[in-house]
Amino acid sequence: MMKLDEILVTRNWVGKPVQRQEDLRFVKGEGSYVDDLDMDCHQAAILRSPHAHARIKKIDVSKALALKGVIAVLTGQEAAGQTKPISARAITRPATQYVMAVDKVRYVGEPVAAVAAEDRYIAEDALELIEIDYEALPPVVKIEDALKPDAPLVFEEAGSNVLMHDLMEHGNFAEACQEADLILKETFNVHRYSSTPLEPWAIIADYQKGSDAFLVWANDQQHGRSITNVCNTLGIPTHKLRLMVPDSGGGFGIKLALWPYIVILSLLAKKANKPVKWIQTRREHLMAGSHAPDANVEIELALKKDGRLLAVGIKDIQNDGSFVHTAGIYGLIKFATMVGCYNIKATKAELLSVVTNKGPTVQNRGVGKPTMIFVLERMVDLAAKKLGLDPSEIRFRNFVRPEQMPYTTPSGEIYESGDYPECLRKALELVGYEELKRRRDAERKNGKYLGIGISAGVEPGTSNLGYYYTARGTPEYTGNAEGAIVSVDYDGNVNVLLGSADTGQGHATTTAQVIADMLAISPDNVSMNSHVDSLISPFLGHSGVYSNKFNDVDLGAVVMATKKIRDKMLRLAAHMLELDVNQLKLKDGKICSAKDEAKAVSFKEIASLAYKKIVFLPEGEEPGLKDIAYYRNPIAKLPNRKDFNIQLTHANSVHIAVVEVDVQSGMIEFLKYGIVHDCGRQIHPGIVEGMAIGSTVHGLGASLLEEFVYNEDGQLLSTTFMDYMKPLAMGVPKFELAHMESPCPYTLLGTKAVGEGGSLPSLAAIANAVEDALAPFGVKVTSLPITPEKVVRAVTESKEI
Amino acid sequence: MHKIKLRINGNEIEHEVDARLLLVHYIREKARLTGTHVGCDTGNCGACTVIFNGKAVKSCMTLAAQVDGAQIITIEGLAKNGLHPIQKAFMEKFAIQCGYCTPGMIMSAYGLLTANPSPDEAEIREALEGNLCMCTGYQQIIEAIAHAADVMRGAGKKK
Repeated sequence: MMKLDEILVTRNWVGKPVQRQEDLRFVKGEGSYVDDLDMDCHQAAILRSPHAHARIKKIDVSKALALKGVIAVLTGQEAAGQTKPISARAITRPATQYVMAVDKVRYVGEPVAAVAAEDRYIAEDALELIEIDYEALPPVVKIEDALKPDAPLVFEEAGSNVLMHDLMEHGNFAEACQEADLILKETFNVHRYSSTPLEPWAIIADYQKGSDAFLVWANDQQHGRSITNVCNTLGIPTHKLRLMVPDSGGGFGIKLALWPYIVILSLLAKKANKPVKWIQTRREHLMAGSHAPDANVEIELALKKDGRLLAVGIKDIQNDGSFVHTAGIYGLIKFATMVGCYNIKATKAELLSVVTNKGPTVQNRGVGKPTMIFVLERMVDLAAKKLGLDPSEIRFRNFVRPEQMPYTTPSGEIYESGDYPECLRKALELVGYEELKRRRDAERKNGKYLGIGISAGVEPGTSNLGYYYTARGTPEYTGNAEGAIVSVDYDGNVNVLLGSADTGQGHATTTAQVIADMLAISPDNVSMNSHVDSLISPFLGHSGVYSNKFNDVDLGAVVMATKKIRDKMLRLAAHMLELDVNQLKLKDGKICSAKDEAKAVSFKEIASLAYKKIVFLPEGEEPGLKDIAYYRNPIAKLPNRKDFNIQLTHANSVHIAVVEVDVQSGMIEFLKYGIVHDCGRQIHPGIVEGMAIGSTVHGLGASLLEEFVYNEDGQLLSTTFMDYMKPLAMGVPKFELAHMESPCPYTLLGTKAVGEGGSLPSLAAIANAVEDALAPFGVKVTSLPITPEKVVRAVTESKEI
Repeated sequence: MHKIKLRINGNEIEHEVDARLLLVHYIREKARLTGTHVGCDTGNCGACTVIFNGKAVKSCMTLAAQVDGAQIITIEGLAKNGLHPIQKAFMEKFAIQCGYCTPGMIMSAYGLLTANPSPDEAEIREALEGNLCMCTGYQQIIEAIAHAADVMRGAGKKK
């Protein structure tokens, strides 16, 4: 692997909080999101099931079609006649589902029919004129109901509501348990929530009659995969779909599987003879825009009297609702994060994916990692309590130590670098831990209930296996990689195209910083079009913005493509200056003699030779200054159930939350929140800070406020931001943040994951703090979210949240 | 249909609108000013915030028919002789990630600083009660608004 000094010839930009290139258009209201594109479109609205589980006996669309301004109506039956079923990824039992419901609906909000009309108001009117005869079926909502032997089946052909069931053991679990002085067992319930990007899903589809092809604009997070899925489902070759991703108003995983709607819009566009636009409403987003699955996790922890952890086992049952494409993908990610930051020599994981009549699930920020870290870090706290150890002490006794790095977990994950004990020491110092403990104890005597919660987590990034489940055999997607095209134009400026879109991470800015230091220029001379266009952008099957992969493989591709161009410019400059390449250096947009800087050629002059003065090129050199590179993470292992790595970089952090709980009202107030965070080398500290804090607020919302509540009929009760409550500026603390930088030896720039960040360890930090505050009442926190109602009930009667 | 005549960002415009047309859709589709965004449809997220006769309002909770004779300022109308200090502060403090909430946040901040040029942190947080940001966790937005307030009062002069 190239060393950092070979990659960066100056150190003027990487690591500096430079102005973001994206922001000027955003502060002026000149962003270019799908709904902003200036196109003459019909507008679509989608009719959704009001039932959780029902048979569709009859659909009559005649009145809707007769409404003035209605252009086309598409029913599920009609769509199914023109498409293949939705592909499954992780489940091992057969389950057939189409992009719209055909003969039965499986969740409230499932698309049943779609209308294209002259405007959205008319399209919505038309939905009300579609008549459907439903025969209600008994729904399955909770995991326990789905597992009953006589439970109604969500997919009859599967013969069960358990669509995936796997067991994996690494290290000698039984032996470790025998060696243990005690084994603690607990069951945790983690609820459904979502990171709800502020811009809902948005798609424009256009059918081009002349070429029999589709043009699509969508705020799709993983166009690389969507292209395959859409084309397979429509039964068209890949070159018949051009997919473009403009600005995207947040993703957080929630826009990773909107492709079934691209299929719906494509079919509508074909009927409408004009581009058709669909902008998801917030209500649609909350009902059917995908959630993180709820899960019941049984965990057992085997440990010695001195607090040393020996083994951890989980039985994880996730409620995947009813979307076969993503069902079953969380388990493997939980499994990969099972040992957290600790030396634990044996693991056992039993993983089940259960389908129910709840809405679809998708890879919400962190996928299974927030749940796994919540469960593990809660358990470590319970163990500390049992053994009379301080929560910090039990963690110090178990951390993987810096001298063990790179450390391989029992199943094969490689923790590449980091100093976990130092991270906790710094965090304790940041918040003033000892003083806080004294204050907590003193305040208790005054009837004030303060609590301190510590949580330490690994923050893995760059997924291997593309979330495919090894239970299905060799996965279709393995490893992780991305592509980039870099060119130096006529004027000597740099242009970049990347294989992944941006959903707010500042990819253009970060890319410009890296290239500026590779070519000794200013980031102002680098422009990256962060919009993706499948016709011109380089992409792979994995391409997209997810699993914190940007600063690993995406920047890796940028580095490799830039290096090709730099090498070529050096060769051309050597030719022009009549020197050897090794006598040259890059400086201020020029290549000059290392000994005599006056002897120089500018990038513009080099470009002039490369693009225009073709006959003067040295022999064997191709014209032009544009190149493509694909870069893969080098440590991805082959699929092998005995030894594999599902995540390819591992950042880590410690969160310490300090709360005061009002036991009368159940309200929880933050007194302090400290984060120490190690994501390897930081390219842009301003961006990293925003991500570290923003992701933590996702965890805060999940811990205390947000929940998709279904009643026993499977009706979703939280369909607006009035009842699905997001954190507000008033309710979040002012975060104190400190960083460590342990460069990753396996990424070109030493970077590690940063995007999912605080959404992982924050759940346990907050839960541990609440439990600590309520220690005088003997309350145990085993579920989320920790609502005021649950707090009051726990204090007065149940003793459990 | 209702005939409305109003000033948006100083420019007079006139349209016949359906009684049920929302102001946000009027601004986006008839006036073709797409910086005003829709994020929730229920008045919770504030991405559609505009200034209506001097006050910050949510244009998804207002009908176009209600704004006859009004002065509306949208995000596109804020910059005069260069960026407004709030716009600059959002850039300087990295208060932006995906940018979708940004116009509404800036218009709410404009409404706040018009009414209260020296807000403290708690007042800023309170003023953002009607604006959701899913990316930043608000901290850098709050810093940006505090910084903009300082700049607008004259650099260096604290409350």
